[in-house]
Parts: sequence; C-alpha cells; structure tokens
Amino acid sequence: MVSPQQHHDHVYDLKLLSVGPGHVTGSDVVHDLTGLDLAMKLHYLKAVYLFSSHAAEGLTIMNMKEPMFCWCNDYFMTCGRIKRSEPSGRPYIKCNDCGIRVVEGVCDKTLDEWIEMEDGSRWNLLVYHRVIGPELSFSPLVYLQVTWFKCGGISLGISWAHLLGDAFSVSDFVNNWGRCMATLKANGSPTVAPRSQTTVPKPQPLSAKQVNHVGDLWVIANNCKMETFSFNLTTQHLSNLEDEHNPVSAFNLICALIWRSIAKFREGFEPQVVTVCRKDPNHDNNILGNTQVIRSIKADFSVVESDLNKLASLIAGDQNQGRDERNMIEASVEKDNGLTDYIIYGSNLTFVNLVNAGLYEMELKGKKPRFAYYSIQGVGDEGAVLVLPGPPPQGSTVIMAADEAIW
Amino acid sequence: MPDLSISVKLKYVKLGYQYLVNHILTLTLVSIMVGVVVEVLRLGPDEIVNLWTSLHLDFVQILCSSFFIIFIATVYFMSKPRSIYLVDYACYKPPVTCRVPFATFMEHSRLILINNPKSVEFQMRILERSGLGEETCLPPAIHYIPPTPTMEAARGEAELVIFSAMDSLFEKTGLKPKDIDILIVNCSLFSPTPSLSAMVINKYKMRSNVKSFNLSGMGCSAGLISIDLARDLLQLYPSSNAVVVSTEIITPNYYQGKERAMLLPNCLFRMGGAAILLSNRRSERWNAKYRLVHVVRTHKGSDDKAYRCVFEEEDKEGKVGISLSKDLMAIAGEALKSNITTIGPLVLPASEQLLFLLTLIGRKIFNPKLKPYIPDFKQAFEHFCIHAGGRAVIDELQKNLQLSAEHVEASRMTLHRFGNTSSSSLWYELSYIESKGRMKRGDRVWQIAFGSGFKCNSAVWKCNRTIKTPTDGPWVDCIGRYPVHIPEVVKL
Repeated sequence: MVSPQQHHDHVYDLKLLSVGPGHVTGSDVVHDLTGLDLAMKLHYLKAVYLFSSHAAEGLTIMNMKEPMFCWCNDYFMTCGRIKRSEPSGRPYIKCNDCGIRVVEGVCDKTLDEWIEMEDGSRWNLLVYHRVIGPELSFSPLVYLQVTWFKCGGISLGISWAHLLGDAFSVSDFVNNWGRCMATLKANGSPTVAPRSQTTVPKPQPLSAKQVNHVGDLWVIANNCKMETFSFNLTTQHLSNLEDEHNPVSAFNLICALIWRSIAKFREGFEPQVVTVCRKDPNHDNNILGNTQVIRSIKADFSVVESDLNKLASLIAGDQNQGRDERNMIEASVEKDNGLTDYIIYGSNLTFVNLVNAGLYEMELKGKKPRFAYYSIQGVGDEGAVLVLPGPPPQGSTVIMAADEAIW
Repeated sequence: MPDLSISVKLKYVKLGYQYLVNHILTLTLVSIMVGVVVEVLRLGPDEIVNLWTSLHLDFVQILCSSFFIIFIATVYFMSKPRSIYLVDYACYKPPVTCRVPFATFMEHSRLILINNPKSVEFQMRILERSGLGEETCLPPAIHYIPPTPTMEAARGEAELVIFSAMDSLFEKTGLKPKDIDILIVNCSLFSPTPSLSAMVINKYKMRSNVKSFNLSGMGCSAGLISIDLARDLLQLYPSSNAVVVSTEIITPNYYQGKERAMLLPNCLFRMGGAAILLSNRRSERWNAKYRLVHVVRTHKGSDDKAYRCVFEEEDKEGKVGISLSKDLMAIAGEALKSNITTIGPLVLPASEQLLFLLTLIGRKIFNPKLKPYIPDFKQAFEHFCIHAGGRAVIDELQKNLQLSAEHVEASRMTLHRFGNTSSSSLWYELSYIESKGRMKRGDRVWQIAFGSGFKCNSAVWKCNRTIKTPTDGPWVDCIGRYPVHIPEVVKL
C-alpha cells in the first residue's frame, strides 16, 4: 500500500464565498426531512467532475456565478440551513436563501498528472468538505469547489449532505447546473420526493444501525481507521467477466467478487448480511430526495466457499431474496420522531450501484467530463463499495471506503 | 358625537383660514378690479375721456414712462436666475449576483468574527431592526470570506455602478457624452487618483473643455451639495448641460474589526448609484421632468459634538471604520430644525407663516409656555424624499414633521429594497414615487439629506410634467410587491 504523500500544497489559494438564489424564496418556506432523510444525516456524498481545458476555455468564476444564481432558484432547499423544530427537536431545513458555499482553488498539476497520481486521498483536496455542526444553522449543506489546473482544465468538487438526496439526486443537480450554464435559464424545479407518513409498525431493518447520539455535530465515530481506495476496470475486463458468468450483470459480479474476497480476509467474521443500493426504476429523473432502493441481503450459506454465480444472483435479487427496507427505515426513524441517530452506509458491507446515475451527462461548452468520481464521506465500520461508470468508452471504476485493516 | 362635529367644524375653519390667507393677494386684486369696473361702468365712456385729457399728459412724458417701464422689466428679466431643469435621471440596479440575504450576511459575519460572538450578536440585532429587506446588494469583493477589498476591486465596483448608471442616463435622454459641459461626481469614501470624474471622462471620451469636479469626504448629503454646485455653475454658463453622479463605493470601506459602533455601517450601507442630467437650456423647458426651486444647506460643523458624531477613525487594532456616536439622532434633529428655519419662509404658504409668526410672538411676549407651532409642511409639498439613512432617521423625521405613513413610504421602501445607498438614496425614492404613478405636474418634492459634518441639506423640486409610470429603472420588476409591511423586528 502506497503511503499518502504530503498533498496539502498541491491545491492552494482557496477563496470562499456564498452563492444563493436570485429570487427571494420567502420568509416561511421550509423543506421537511423524511425519516429516510434523517437516517442518512451522518453521511455525505463527494463528487468530482474533471473537465479538460477545451471545455473550460474562457470560464471564470464571475461567469460561472450568474448561472449558479439561476440554478439556485430551483434548488433553493440546498441553500437553506438546518433548524430544529420546537418542541420536538426534529431537524428540518429552513429555506432562508443562505446559499451554498463556493470555493475557488488552484492546483499546480495538470489534469493528466492528477489522474495518474496513485494516492486515493488526493480527491479530498478537490472537494472542500465540512460536516454539519456544531452550529446547525450556520452549516452549509452543499459545498462547491472549482479548482483550476495548470493545463487549463478544471475540476468541480461537490460536497453534499446525504439528507438532501442520494447520489442520483446529486447527479441531477450537477447536470442541471450544466444546462443552466449553457442556456442561462432554469431547467425547472426538481420534483421533491414525496413525503409519506408510515404509521404502520414495521420490523427492524437490517441495513440501518443505531449509533450513539451525535447531538449537533453530524459525524460518524468510527472504531477503526477508514481509507478510500479505487481501481478501474476496463471494458475488456468487464466483458470477460460477463462472458464467463452469463447472464449475470457486471455490477452483481463485481459485488460478489468483493464480498467473497472480504469474507476470505475476515476469517471467522465474514459478513453474512450486505446492503445493496441502486436506483429506483419507478422514479423519473430530476427528483430530489433519498429515493434509492435499499435492500439488505442475507446469505444463508458460507460466503467464502460459495460459487460466484450463486452469490451474484443473490445480490441481483432474482428470486426476490433480500427485502427493500426503505419503509422499515422510515418507520424506525419516525418511531421516536427522528431523535435516534442511524447510519446506513457501513452498518453492513454496502454496495452502491451508480452505473446508471448519469455521471457523464453533464456538459460544459458541449463537452463531457473527462472523469467523474463519487465517494461517500462518513461510512460505518463495515465499509462501502461504489461502482461507477467509467469515462466513455465505458469501463467501470470501483471505489471502496473500507477498513484500513484490509490493506 | 360632539367631538367629531367639533373637529369637522375646526377643519373647515382651518381650511377657510388657509384659503383666505394664501390667496390674499388674489382676493385683494380681484376686489379692486371689480371695484374699478363697477366705477367705470357707472361713470360712462365720456367721463373717462374727460378724466384722461385732464391729466395733461404730453408725448414726452408718455415716452419716458414707457421707457422706464421697459427698462425695469428688462433689468428684472436679466437678473432673474436661470431656471434649472432636471431633464431625467437614472438609478443603478445591482445584479442578482450581488444579493445579500440576511442569513448569508449573518453567516459570513459569524465566520469572520469567529472570536467575537458578542459582536455577531450585536449585528444580528441591528439587522433584525434595520428595516432592510432580503434583496439589498453588496459588491462582489465583499462576498468573499473574508472580504477582499483591493483597490482594483474598488475601482471595479466604481466602474460597474457609475458606468451602468450613465449608460442608462444616456439611453433615457439621448444625451451624447460630447454634449456634457459640466460633470460632478460625488463619492464620499473612495477617492483614487486620477479621480472618479476623470475615470468617467476617460471612459466616455468627453470634450477637453468639460468642467469636471470630484467631491469626496462629504458624506451622505453630498448628492444635494453636487446639485447646488451644478446650479451655481449653470447660472454662470448659458445654455449648458450638467451631469451629476452620486454614489458610494462600499468595497474599500467594509469594516473588518469588532468595535460595535463601527460595525453598524456594515449592516446598513449597500451598493447603489445615480446619474442626473441638469440643464439650463430653454429647449428643455417642456420635456424636463422637474425644475429646481430651492437648495438650502445647513452646516453644524462649528459645534464639536456635531462634528464628531460621524467620524472615520482607527479602532484599537488599527482597523479603519466609521464610528457613529450615540447622539446622532439628537444632532440630526437639531440640524433639521436649523434647515427648516431657513427653508420654511421660502416654501410655506402665507397662512402657515402667519400662524408660526403669531405663535412666536405669543411665546416671546405673552406666554413662554405656549407650545411652539410646528408648521405643516404637508401644505408646502406633495412628496417627501427623506434620505434612507436608517429606520431611526425616517421615524424621527416622520415624528418631527408630522408626516403620514404614505409620505414616508418612498423612504421606507427604498431602505427595504436597496438599503442605505448613501447620497443616491434620494433618487431611488423619487423613482419609487414615479413608479407608483403619483407624480403629477405641479407637485412639489422636498428632498432632505443628512451627512457627516454634521450637515442637513434640502432641495425643492417642482414637477414640470405629469410623469408616466417608467418602463425601466430600479423598481420596474418589483414595484408590484410594494408597499410591504416591514415588521418592527424580523425573525432571523
């Protein structure tokens, strides 16, 4: 394992400002948080989009700001701040136009050099991230970092509080900004995911774990050191995998492989239950909220000795194994009105399928991103694996935030 | 309801008295003319001719008398001051990218003053009671955490504000830069070399014999000082145009320390500017919007307390800021009284002046305890533009001059939508009144501005033609929402 080099000088000259909606949202507009949103409050998503110098030509922070105000008119809830309602203490978002925090930075490397660097933690330099708290009403929910590279390329780094929405919402958010930049017109407000009230008591979900009260500082306390690691799979790799194990899809195979490898490593403590998150096929695009399907899958057999195909088809849920736990998580949180703190990612080994999240739909000056990278900040001890689409021509990137002990 | 009938009777008595005294000259003249006509009719034409011939007027006498009359008339018309017309004016509308909602202001303050929670708390309380709205604007450099007030950024703001206002003025009036004879720019707190007026001349390639002036350091009342200067110059130069640019550049003056008295301006001052075209040309007589009637300037600088009440200085840490003293409102009240004493006789109708004189005599001679009579300025003016210096200033003047809520509506709404834009706020207020369609031909407007020094300046304008609701200008996209109710304390 390569030891992390001193990176703090590569991105420098950071300047912070706030960008909010151009229109006044109004004095009493609130965005309620569902039980599922609250269950995700200790997780943050980090997304980085790299654009070559052709796409970034002529862009300055000033001409990026105007479309942002337009874009924030639609996404006014991301510009609000968390407040606790009286007397229950349940958090909600007050849409007070406070804004998203925009950070400008400069990097002394070219894009090519950056992509070739090996240290997985370098992506953190491109995403300005702060957790929510201890002052909830002064903590931005979204940070946007624009970093200029030596070659003229730029990176857009987004730090997003998961309580606002899942990775699919983030992808829509970014794609909408690309459209605003191109047309200087708003795309129309995203549909906010419906708030449903489930009062029917449900069994405890396997995918959500209670944690100790975090109070007003929304950060996960891990018992072991966590590291992020990623590797790329080329199209060749993927087609080889799929040929060998027809008809199972690549995502399920990758997950099965990793599950089995981790189980082999953790002899005696192999994970029997995993959580799988993927896009809800019933939902259209342009939806804001935590709508992804969260399924927990239990293996009744020994994972280490299992057949790859069997494991993969278990993950795929062909015979309806594993249950969609969204309603159960919602019910658990609502039981005490959101006062208990939960984690989802990392409560069990979690796999997130972002292959069809539209990561390469964003366009700057008609050019697609050179590379898109998503990761999760704040993962429980069991770790999480994200499978992302690679840059066209399609390949795949796999990003894992896992227990350092594995390395 | 005896009280109601008494007050109604009193109202009619008062109206009758006012009509009688204000039109005394007309009434006297009319009665004399009626008397003469009656007498003439009674005498008959023959008697009149006899009266005329008995005067023994010969040709020389008639010639001399007519010559004398013509001579007097010529001297009168030559020495009459030229009429100064306000052709049109344009106010700067900041872009939405400069918008500063309350929440953003407070969050930035919290991050910048991270070690001074008491100062942050103080700013929050000021903002809650300030009367500002959620759409006021600060220049781009101040949006950074911490702000980046370089000289380049200050020049950038000056160019943005002044050039936009001037472009807008040129478009509205059809004026060409080469036709500008006099240029006056006032900006109190930013005074680079070359001056802002030189910057304007350079940008618009004005003539080499343009008379340019740059007023700095004169505070929020500098706008009316510039108008006064333009008026004096236009008396000197016949057939000329004068452009006055009033603005305040925020970038270099954002206080970065923690003294509370100096944090107050940060909460109130916002981006804004106005460009005004004045002319003494006869040809503008019909299409000009207003005619300047009076400018009255009062300076209380000889009093030490008044001199120090708005003072730019360094705090204990060496950070420069403008310190506002606690006596500000009292001093403003005094300055206003001085100004009113001068302007009253110029504008008040005879009825009010008589009443004031009678009560003054009564107080001096008969009974010192008699309440001083506050003249009713609502009879002298239809519209009031009170500098939107802060909620307290507007409240104080409303009380002192006994104005209704509608009279101070322009000031309050300007404070809400644009904040305290210093010397240009009077023009945003005038624009508000026009946008509401309230400005009719013959209406008189009173602009009052206060400024450091301590100064109180007034200008009186008379509306030259009924003004149609403008299709451009700073209020065009939001006038429908106004007036808004501004709560005493906004819940942040």
